[in-house]
Amino acid sequence: MTEPGDDRRMAGFKDFYQFSAPTRVIAGRDLLASTGFEFAKEGAHRVMLVTDAGVRGTGLVDRVADGVRDGGLEVAAVYDAVPQDSDGAAVEAIVALAREHGADSFLAVGGGSVMDSAKVACLVHTHGGRPRDWEGFYGLPRGDDGAGRALELAPLACIPTTAGTGSEVSFVAVIRDREAAVKYQIADFALMPRLAILDPQSTATLPPSLAASTGMDALTHAIEGYVSRDWNPHADACALHALRLIHANLRRAVQTPDDETARGNMLVAAALAIVPTNCGALGVAHALAHPCGAAFGVPHGVANAITLAVAIEFNAAGGADIQERYRDVTELLGLGRPADAGTVLAAHVRELARSLGLPARLSQVGVPESGIPALVAGAMGEACTLVNPRVPSAEELTELYRRAL
Amino acid sequence: MPYFSDDQDVYRHLGQLFLDLLEDEELAPKFRTANTVVQYRYRNPDSQITVKLLEAEEGQVDLGRTLLEPEVIMTMDADVAHRFWLGKVNVTVALARGQMKASGPVAKILRLVPLTKPVFPRYKAQLEAAGRSDLANA
Repeated sequence: MTEPGDDRRMAGFKDFYQFSAPTRVIAGRDLLASTGFEFAKEGAHRVMLVTDAGVRGTGLVDRVADGVRDGGLEVAAVYDAVPQDSDGAAVEAIVALAREHGADSFLAVGGGSVMDSAKVACLVHTHGGRPRDWEGFYGLPRGDDGAGRALELAPLACIPTTAGTGSEVSFVAVIRDREAAVKYQIADFALMPRLAILDPQSTATLPPSLAASTGMDALTHAIEGYVSRDWNPHADACALHALRLIHANLRRAVQTPDDETARGNMLVAAALAIVPTNCGALGVAHALAHPCGAAFGVPHGVANAITLAVAIEFNAAGGADIQERYRDVTELLGLGRPADAGTVLAAHVRELARSLGLPARLSQVGVPESGIPALVAGAMGEACTLVNPRVPSAEELTELYRRAL
Repeated sequence: MPYFSDDQDVYRHLGQLFLDLLEDEELAPKFRTANTVVQYRYRNPDSQITVKLLEAEEGQVDLGRTLLEPEVIMTMDADVAHRFWLGKVNVTVALARGQMKASGPVAKILRLVPLTKPVFPRYKAQLEAAGRSDLANA
């Protein structure tokens, strides 16, 4: 049993954890042509295709649509206007289009915003209501008077065009409420897509800057997940292998975009790195980053790339058990097992971000010092803060933002 | 067997805790930074506590029926709520297990979780003072 005051144990046998990975993942080369063949196995017939204008402009969506038809399915309609940060209006537009054209399933082709929009559209299409009605954790309709299994949504498949968010296998969707200037979360097992297709063709036209920032998002998922107080052995296995893949492939994928092997491995890394998040394991780097996106429009991966290093330094000062976990990470990254693993790892993260051409400070991406109090208020309410190995006070969050500024 | 015998038993103890917290000169302003109205819906026994935590207004606790419009709704067994205030429930685990269900802008309430730690011994002392050592040692 956990001893009083010992609710942060970073090793040993846990009192409780749960692991669920119901998404069927297919990964490999030349898979897009078989999208329909694979999605049919998940019960799809008339597919609502969800994407954004940028992805559609690359021609990728047309190839996916051909693949849907080749498998004997129909493309009911295509929605290609998902904005950079998805919002409720886009979700409702997708649902309306799906209903108008009799769609029975959803296929997202895009990055995190596209996939999250498709997830929530699938939810609203299935259970009704408005997107924000479903805000919260584990609140989707269940059988057995609310105590049973979450009721299934319409079939949903994702083809990620960035390697970072991991939304293609995650149980959460983040939607921006533009009026309230907040991002809200909907999280439940039923939101996990039925199918994820990881094919490096889908990231062939990804700009290097986006490959860099989304890759840093995946890195943040893996490191924070591994050093969260909600760590667990199943998630650890995924996080550590994700780190190996990111270490070997991220620079290559950014600096030599035609390296299909590196891009494919980064897709796999992102899908593995999100596994701890699915178990509730994240940390204060994400808690710091989310309000930057909501209030100042800082892209999520860019914000994480900046906040990860200060979060590591803060956590490392929290105890030998936390340092030991960081030591596992530094060893895997070829940095040995130094006594000050947090310092070494933070320096490595900063150098990696610099070498990828990413900004080093929040002030470089439009965050003013005057915004810190509002950012702190946002970070305080993040569930990620509660599962960080050190729970920071408001004063400590203020200091962390100052260091990142 | 549930810890509380009926809704009045819930209000006598958990309800009293909320009433006391909102009278506390040090804690009440901190809790009001949540700037929301939260409703705790309990099962076994069925009961409901609604708490107004608005920065610009006095706090308010309604035991049972209420005219307040909740923004955040937390649903759980009364036993889970009781054990939470004794410091024996990890909120993130309880959410993940479905022992607590949260709808609405849950972040507004989660930011209060670190503030609740000093309340745990206070709740235990309150139960003992009320002669309910059975509950205090649950």
